[in-house]
Amino acid sequence: MTTPLLEIEDLHARVCDKEIVKGFNLTINEGEVHAIMGPNGAGKSTLSNILCGKPGYEVTSGSVRFKGKDLLAMSPEERAREGIFLAMQYPVEIPGVPVTTFLKHAVNAVRKHRGEPELDTMEFIKMVREEGYKFKLDAEMIKRPVNVGFSGGEKKRLEVLQMAILKPDFAILDEADSGLDIDALKLVADGVNTLRDGHRAMLIITHFQRLLSHVVPDFVHVYANGHIVKSGGKELARELEEKGYAEFEKEA
Amino acid sequence: MSGLLQHINFPGEEIPWLRDMRCRAAAAFASAGVPTAKVEAWKYTKPRGLNTNDFVVSLPSSQLTKVKPKLPFEAYTIYFENGIFNPALSNLPQGVEVLPLIEALMFRPEIRPLVNAETDFAAYPFAALNTAYLNEGVFIRIDSRVELKKKLAIIYHTDAAGRNLLCNLHNLVILEEGASAELVEYYCYDGELKSRYLTNVVNEFYLRRGAFLHHYKVQNEAFKAAHIALNLVDVAKDGGYCAFCLQKGADIARNETRVRLKDEGASAEVDAVYVMNGWATLDTTTDIEHLAPCTVSHQLVKGVVGGNAKGVFQGKIHIAPGAVRTEGTQLHKALLLTDAAEVDVKPELEIFADDVKCSHGAASGELDEEQLFYMRSRGIGEGEARQLLIDAYLDDAISKIEDENIARWITLEAK
Repeated sequence: MTTPLLEIEDLHARVCDKEIVKGFNLTINEGEVHAIMGPNGAGKSTLSNILCGKPGYEVTSGSVRFKGKDLLAMSPEERAREGIFLAMQYPVEIPGVPVTTFLKHAVNAVRKHRGEPELDTMEFIKMVREEGYKFKLDAEMIKRPVNVGFSGGEKKRLEVLQMAILKPDFAILDEADSGLDIDALKLVADGVNTLRDGHRAMLIITHFQRLLSHVVPDFVHVYANGHIVKSGGKELARELEEKGYAEFEKEA
Repeated sequence: MSGLLQHINFPGEEIPWLRDMRCRAAAAFASAGVPTAKVEAWKYTKPRGLNTNDFVVSLPSSQLTKVKPKLPFEAYTIYFENGIFNPALSNLPQGVEVLPLIEALMFRPEIRPLVNAETDFAAYPFAALNTAYLNEGVFIRIDSRVELKKKLAIIYHTDAAGRNLLCNLHNLVILEEGASAELVEYYCYDGELKSRYLTNVVNEFYLRRGAFLHHYKVQNEAFKAAHIALNLVDVAKDGGYCAFCLQKGADIARNETRVRLKDEGASAEVDAVYVMNGWATLDTTTDIEHLAPCTVSHQLVKGVVGGNAKGVFQGKIHIAPGAVRTEGTQLHKALLLTDAAEVDVKPELEIFADDVKCSHGAASGELDEEQLFYMRSRGIGEGEARQLLIDAYLDDAISKIEDENIARWITLEAK
């Protein structure tokens, strides 16, 4: 049997002395799309931040292995270069740093790590223009500072554009649908679906079922009180939408 | 009595005017000495380590033979080695008067009144020291309505290896009516990073009616050097002075700019950035005097301070009685990279006229952790991410430079 892409075992973590993740287990194999659903405030974003190495979270016990390696020992940039990508719920604005500059540094850092030659400016601009076109982010927008003056939908599209360009092995989409109208949601979902190529694995973190009717997951997990309380197939998402989270929180 | 004063027979001692001025300045410096922290103007920037016998006035024998530094743009050059003018390595423009200041003072008596015309030696001890040793430096005069096509760069190249030199320079620049020029000053060093030397420079700029001067300066002195610069700018009707200074070198440095907007329509833009580490103190001091109605000045100063370093900004805007309908703005911002980094800011507004628009502001902050994480989460290394954010921080100041070549040069030098 091949090594799973991601293996989380009995993970416990806290923020400011408050235990938020309590015995979390999850295994994701290459090509699988998992969804984690849970009530607001359950700590879903905490989980994605821990996986990406955001400072401020303390893992107290448990392990996370990515491609067999100890993920928790890696810096955020090492995790990204190894192939983890987090599409953030609230993408950060970076005044003064144009999207192209930002992306070029990111792409070349990842390529260098993979032993691929760095792209020169011409090759890079061509690639960003082509990919940007798919997500309706035109040449003018990608010259602007990162996320500055972008609408909610544009920010989410830029996240998916980055994912398309960085080609991660494992992508986490944290509330990728929040704040999107139906057209924007469809654009983001279509983007995500084109990146679902049978090899790339994804973890979709969401409160609502609506994204999951566009990007259909292989597995759905209900997350409450710091761990998974129920796992199932895609039908579990619909069940949750009808019944709500209340009974799962009780079970937890 | 400060140990800095040596007796040297400079050229021009036979001219009573020159001899008297040098003596007056020497006496003023001897009585004031190197300022201590008790002197208000030097409260934040203590000229530590300068009050010694160690400095020796640089003389022509001090010339160095190393490779001449190159600038990444086309320019006429005036080249100083260890504070001594080297005509052989210079490339002077045609049709513009450029000659050693001392020659100009000896043979052109009519320019003598322009030297230290309004400098109070008691208030400016380093200008007193500078005048006591008045000898090196250039006189530049650009004739009416002449536009200097290429930039004019003054390169101050120093090695000072093991010699504790005092590089004492005084430049006098006159732009006659309607003339315009771009002057670049580049202070750089060769060899020993730890060379200890003192650059003490006074620039006097006279901008006649409608004349316009761009003044770009990069101060990249050696790590252990000291750099004291005083820029005295006199702007006549409809004239304009537009300065940008990057300071990144030296252990202790002050770039002081005093602008007198003397007649209607005169304007000044005095912008600066400083980037520092270690234990350095880098100081930007300005004094903008609005002496006539309808004069305009703007200042934007941004600093990035790391290590145990200290940035100092003292900015004064003075609006004289009767200088109505003037506009003076000032903004200082600093990015503190470490807990030990410090900035001291002293804005001063002196407004003696009604109907003026005047503002000042100051802010300091740290690198944004969320921005850093966002970049790192995309694979960008922490050091690289910090540098990108620092570049972005300085960008709005540097982007005020209209000349693309200079903006690119300063962006690179600021890294």
